[in-house]
Amino acid sequence: MPLFGALDLAEVAARLPAVRDLDTEAWTLPQAEILQLAWEVNDDTQVLLPKAMHPAIPPYATIVVTRYPESPVGMFALAQLRLMGRAGAHPRGYVLGAVASTTAAASALRERWGFPVEVGDVTLVRYHDRVIARVRLDGEPVLEAALVDPEPIAGGDVQYIHTVTLAAVDGQPQLVQVDPHYTVHKAERGRPRLERLTTPRWHASGLGFTTPIAATVTTCDTDFPRIRFVMDPEIPVVRGTRRIR
Amino acid sequence: MKFGLFYELSVPRPWTRDSERIVYENALEQVKLADELGFDQVWAVEHHFLEEYSHCPAPDLFLTACAMITRRIRVGHGIIVCVPEFNHPIKIAERTAVLDILSGGRLEVGTGRSATWTELGGFNANPDTTKKTWDEFVRCLPRMWTSDRFAYDGEFWSMPSRAIIPRVYQKPHPPLWVAVTTPGTELDAADRGLGSLGLTFGQFAEQEKRIAEYRRRIQLCTPVGEFVNDQVNTVNFLYCDEDDARGVATGRRMADTFNYLASQLISAREAYPSKSYQSLGLLPQLRRQATGPDANAQGGEGLCMGGPARITAALKRWESVGVDRVNFLLNTLEAIPQADVLASLKLFAREVMPAFAAGKG
Repeated sequence: MPLFGALDLAEVAARLPAVRDLDTEAWTLPQAEILQLAWEVNDDTQVLLPKAMHPAIPPYATIVVTRYPESPVGMFALAQLRLMGRAGAHPRGYVLGAVASTTAAASALRERWGFPVEVGDVTLVRYHDRVIARVRLDGEPVLEAALVDPEPIAGGDVQYIHTVTLAAVDGQPQLVQVDPHYTVHKAERGRPRLERLTTPRWHASGLGFTTPIAATVTTCDTDFPRIRFVMDPEIPVVRGTRRIR
Repeated sequence: MKFGLFYELSVPRPWTRDSERIVYENALEQVKLADELGFDQVWAVEHHFLEEYSHCPAPDLFLTACAMITRRIRVGHGIIVCVPEFNHPIKIAERTAVLDILSGGRLEVGTGRSATWTELGGFNANPDTTKKTWDEFVRCLPRMWTSDRFAYDGEFWSMPSRAIIPRVYQKPHPPLWVAVTTPGTELDAADRGLGSLGLTFGQFAEQEKRIAEYRRRIQLCTPVGEFVNDQVNTVNFLYCDEDDARGVATGRRMADTFNYLASQLISAREAYPSKSYQSLGLLPQLRRQATGPDANAQGGEGLCMGGPARITAALKRWESVGVDRVNFLLNTLEAIPQADVLASLKLFAREVMPAFAAGKG
């Protein structure tokens, strides 16, 4: 059988977001601008992935920086670092760390969907030949990355992989599946470029980016949906998945 | 209808020094038996870096071994990845010619372009251009096999005039096929006069529609080779057991394991958005079969697992939708003991194959 993650839950238990309940209401998020950058990463990253999941072959990670112009908590931006893997047979991005640009957004994302999110400065700036994402935490730059040389592609060519977060649900660690819908209005593809990633600030010590894969930036209507599945992080998801609705 | 074997050569962890050797030796024993039992062909894939799923990066070597221990069974080299970072076209022409000679003219050649980031990224190949490179390769290959001297100046590769030797043994040349996983590729095959080497499992209605369109389209083709190969080849699982329920359960275990392994691969489109890979191809279907509503369907639609009667009925249905050949995956991760795999082959040959002998309806 495929390899499994090797995350030691005891090491992360104290900092897990507490999900208020699993009856989260959906958010509609029109006209979001999503920058996604993908790299292959070093082989020894299984220790960052929950034991319920399989590492991707080869292991890779994505940086996703999104600007939401409208939401129930107002405009905000969200940056995520995700280690990609498999939950059973399904590709999923496990969120290692995240930064939101407003306190209201950060609180809601932690309590409703279990994002391990802190409050910081998140910017997404478009130049004629690149789109640059910058993130600062406590005034310190912790991410600078870009899509370089964007070229138009069809929206249908972009496949977004659903997210899983690790959170405390009723006091117990659970993987929470976050599976938004996307209606892409505009899409471009380019090369990813990384200038800075302070991995400890993303709970990703040991993660190293090795080979660039691809970068995309899209404008799309999306959402944060109601939670449908939670999974036991310690056993294979084929045995440990619970359907909420 | 003709029957064959289809090898990915999956190797279960933990890997020991002998893990791969056992898988290869078991496969060779199966091929030797299949030849004696009257199976028509054995196919081996070309895959790279696909841990556990397929440890078969050099199918021409495996097929040479197959040819050396058999007398009649044809050897299907496919698919060969027609992307220059994987295989230079001159080397493809040369190596296939050698295999055709060594097998006494028993070679079939399948072509394709890889569908995983794992492989494309590993070879630093550009996913945007693989369809174009495949097209160049398949148009060159028959001429490389048959011309006294060959020169070429293309978009993706070029060569000055040379004699490409040795020549293929078959005249005019081995049959050519195209791997068909994504909808629409069967039309690419038809337009070029190439056989359709289907790599999807099950789903009669969908396959029937695609085969009908292939049959219609190939009548209008401009063949890239010296003859039109208008045959439809598909893959299936095979586990045949006197006890139908046990056969279904054992076959289901093999199929589930295969589908689960396949779903671990990174499809090209998952990582690298490109119009060259607009469809997700085989993987979503396998994921659905591994975990979705199809997963518990007894035996699955059209899958060849169970007792001889059930398997005969499934194959009759495939025959009725226009399939000419079916290649069987016999095992995954060695989940089925070798003795049981061999027994399944023997039972299939004794109880099922006669129903499809020439002249049987």
